[in-house]
Amino acid sequence: MPTLPAGVHKEAEIASAVAEVEKLLAPDVVRIRYEITTDWNDDWAVYFRVVLSDKASKKNRLIPVVSKIESELAERLDYDALGLYHYHHYRSKSEQAELRGKAWP
Amino acid sequence: MAFADDLLADAFHLAGRGGKKPKQSSLRRAVSTAYYALFHLLIDDFVANWELEHQRVRLGRMFEHRKMREATFKAVNKSAPTPIESDLLKVIGTFVRLQDDRYAADYDIAKVWSRSDVMTSLALAEQAFKSWRNIRKDKIAQDHLLSMFGARRS
Repeated sequence: MPTLPAGVHKEAEIASAVAEVEKLLAPDVVRIRYEITTDWNDDWAVYFRVVLSDKASKKNRLIPVVSKIESELAERLDYDALGLYHYHHYRSKSEQAELRGKAWP
Repeated sequence: MAFADDLLADAFHLAGRGGKKPKQSSLRRAVSTAYYALFHLLIDDFVANWELEHQRVRLGRMFEHRKMREATFKAVNKSAPTPIESDLLKVIGTFVRLQDDRYAADYDIAKVWSRSDVMTSLALAEQAFKSWRNIRKDKIAQDHLLSMFGARRS
């Protein structure tokens, strides 16, 4: 297990940024959860798990919405300073209802 | 159609299979295939510069996934990249992201993929194809391929 990064000690900062983005991008964004853990390469990372509205998950809207979410998070979080890689995963509201309880990538 | 385009088309086909109840196997293969589509798009452009055609396949096999993701590039003015730099940065970012996704899709069998997640990866791959084709003949793009091959920047 690698040394703990700054991000582990700054969860409040991450939580606050996530809450801001969640609010800013509603109703396209239903909710954002996150977890700090190690990735496949044993590097520390923050995994964002975003539930989108069904409308925002349509093919013609998906990329603009996802790009906005990721850029708003990146504006608020200095991943390099936090010592975290960042990963984003998405489910639509319907998919989440279907997959509830099953682990996200 | 080039091999990379075929792979990307295959990725979309796999992602669309199964109606409202897609199989995890199809979604995972879609993600993995999208990564390999971008991987081959870049490699094919690099080896196409090699004059001895019969050696191109061997040359392509020398690319290593890790070296490709670790190849660095910085815009001259980080806060205001040129359109070419901006396209290259998108390709680099998408390559790394797809490689991560591919790893999760191929090896982390505990995780459950949604079609939205998969379509995000595929749409980003599609955008990376467009970005790369905007700049592929440009010097900085060609230099970056050399870095992905493993050459150090002078």
